[in-house]
Amino acid sequence: MTVVDPLRVRRIVAALLLLAGFVIVLFRLFNLQVLQAGELTLKAERQHEKAITLQGGRGTIYDRRGKVLAINLEVPSVFGVPTSLEDPTPVARELGRVLHVRPDEIEKKLKQERSFVWIARKVDPEQGRRLQRRPLEGIGLVLEGRRYYPKGTLLSHVIGFAGMDGDGLEGIEHRYDSYLRGEKQMVVLQRDALGRSVFPKGFTEQGPSSGHSVTLTIDETIQYIAEKELEEAVAASRAKGGTIIVMEPRTGAVLAMALVPTFDPNSLGSLYADRWRNRAVTDVYEPGSTLKVLVAAAALEDKVMEPQTILFGERGSMTVANTVVHDHDPSGWMTFAQVLERSSNIGAVKTALALGPDRLSRVLRAFGFGERSEIDLPGEAAGLVRDSRSWGRRSLASIAMGQEIGVTAVQLATALSAVANGGWLMKPHVVAEIRDGKGKAVYQASPQVRRQPISEGTAQKLTRILEGAVSRGTGKSAAVSGYRVAGKTGTAQKVDPRTGTYSTTLFIGSFVGFVPAEDPRLCILVVIDEPQTEAWGGVVAAPVFRRVAEQVLPYLGVTSQAPVRVALAEGESIGVRRAGRAGP
Amino acid sequence: MKILAAMAVMSLLLLYVGERVDVVRVGYHVERLKLKKVAFQREHDELRVTVSKLTSPERIERAATDRLGMVPARQGQVILVRLEPDAPSDRKPGRPEVRLASHGPREPGLRTP
Repeated sequence: MTVVDPLRVRRIVAALLLLAGFVIVLFRLFNLQVLQAGELTLKAERQHEKAITLQGGRGTIYDRRGKVLAINLEVPSVFGVPTSLEDPTPVARELGRVLHVRPDEIEKKLKQERSFVWIARKVDPEQGRRLQRRPLEGIGLVLEGRRYYPKGTLLSHVIGFAGMDGDGLEGIEHRYDSYLRGEKQMVVLQRDALGRSVFPKGFTEQGPSSGHSVTLTIDETIQYIAEKELEEAVAASRAKGGTIIVMEPRTGAVLAMALVPTFDPNSLGSLYADRWRNRAVTDVYEPGSTLKVLVAAAALEDKVMEPQTILFGERGSMTVANTVVHDHDPSGWMTFAQVLERSSNIGAVKTALALGPDRLSRVLRAFGFGERSEIDLPGEAAGLVRDSRSWGRRSLASIAMGQEIGVTAVQLATALSAVANGGWLMKPHVVAEIRDGKGKAVYQASPQVRRQPISEGTAQKLTRILEGAVSRGTGKSAAVSGYRVAGKTGTAQKVDPRTGTYSTTLFIGSFVGFVPAEDPRLCILVVIDEPQTEAWGGVVAAPVFRRVAEQVLPYLGVTSQAPVRVALAEGESIGVRRAGRAGP
Repeated sequence: MKILAAMAVMSLLLLYVGERVDVVRVGYHVERLKLKKVAFQREHDELRVTVSKLTSPERIERAATDRLGMVPARQGQVILVRLEPDAPSDRKPGRPEVRLASHGPREPGLRTP
């Protein structure tokens, strides 16, 4: 009989148990690592990895001198956890002091039976820092992206604004949205047990590119001067609104585009369409006598008139197609140059009748009326120029006086710039260049000629006539001491929306001109809408032209050609700075 | 020989584990630096906004008039001088041709140069 060693049996049993254990572990390992490998890997990745969409910051908008006009900022938003507050009153009082919000409004929010409430979204960074320095019970901060316009109302109609989701909705923000918008990028992050980001998968994260930066042709200082003078003029004349465009005649670059009333793009909630629409490009108006410049250009170009051609002023009253045309300043015989100096309706009507519909229409269209100027701003209107085949004598007479034709402010400024530019019509533009996130230029604006509606000789003759309109005619208030100014006043009756006829109380007073006449650096259009004190363009708009030009010309370093004596006090000396340094 | 091979394998394993730990440590460091960068970038953007606000012509004009008591220059008080580079040789070198942007009223007690 074999005696079984109990110790040996126990060893074998232990070995078998261990073996069975190993087999189970191996089987489990095989099951996990091989049979379920694919499914479990996916589960693990879902836990360890997090895919997020990163949005690059929206590009910055600068003026021509590099001043920031619009920028993206990460700003704090303040939230509350009402359920964690025992007494919301002192917290609301302190918050109200920091955020400049009524404490009772905050308290009302904090008394709600909710675990989360927004107290204030996208507040000033300094307010956020104050709250960080003195944390309040039940109050937290979270960062959110916000488009910020540090200049407030300045240039708001041109810049436009972006919405809460970062989409450009108006102005440059809308027109150049595809450039300004930051790149979107999916990134997979690896997370640790606490959910913290460890490292992007694959070590290849570069981050999404931010949007391109856009530099405008607008000069902040010139824009400020234009807006300030326009606001004062609109207030003084109790007008409904106004527009000023300052343009470089040689290039078509817009240096300023001011509109009143204005708005603050930082306060999106208070905006409404009528206020933020850029009326300089979207609204069409009858230009009145300022259009006589273009009628005269057509007559001079087609040799229908010469500056010294004599016309009879009919002593201030003439009947055309059963309509009586009046002159505010009745004249007898006068030269064609004096027709513009005195802004004679009768002289202009006779000129248009002598030209005929075809020739007048051809030149007006060549100056860009009835088509978009192609300025790089959204919502541009084409204006209204009817088919010349439908123009009778009455229509010709009306158009000669700037009625029965609709133009935009940009069209008129561009057309006058063509006269200043030797007859060459340039494409107006507000964007000078676009650079990508690394600073590489992707677009640079260069002056673009559209066509030449009149010859250089005609432009020179017209310029001399327009100088007379300022030095001797209706535009005397536009004269700038030390400079030669060429320009034309306009006073247009508006159509009364109630009666559908020309109003006797609603007017548009305007002045358009360029300076210095011999070497134009600026073309300025001033439009005052529905002034209540005086209607005449020579009274309400021409002085605004002068005040803007007086400030902008020295700023650009433009010197007068005429030497003048300088008066000095005894012992006084002149500090000399190099002219042109301030200029671009 | 077997022991040496086992040690080599162990060393390789330890090296691999060590490197993985290092990668994770560097990953945390990179994340911290990225947060710092974001904070600096935010501060930089805020400072640009501050500069933009402080240099606005409206603020400068208000400060000049309200705080410093300055007034806008009257006609004749600002004179732009055109330097003529091709002036005749009989003139003293560097002497500028004085041209005026705007006229000022002639006042008693003033002399004309």
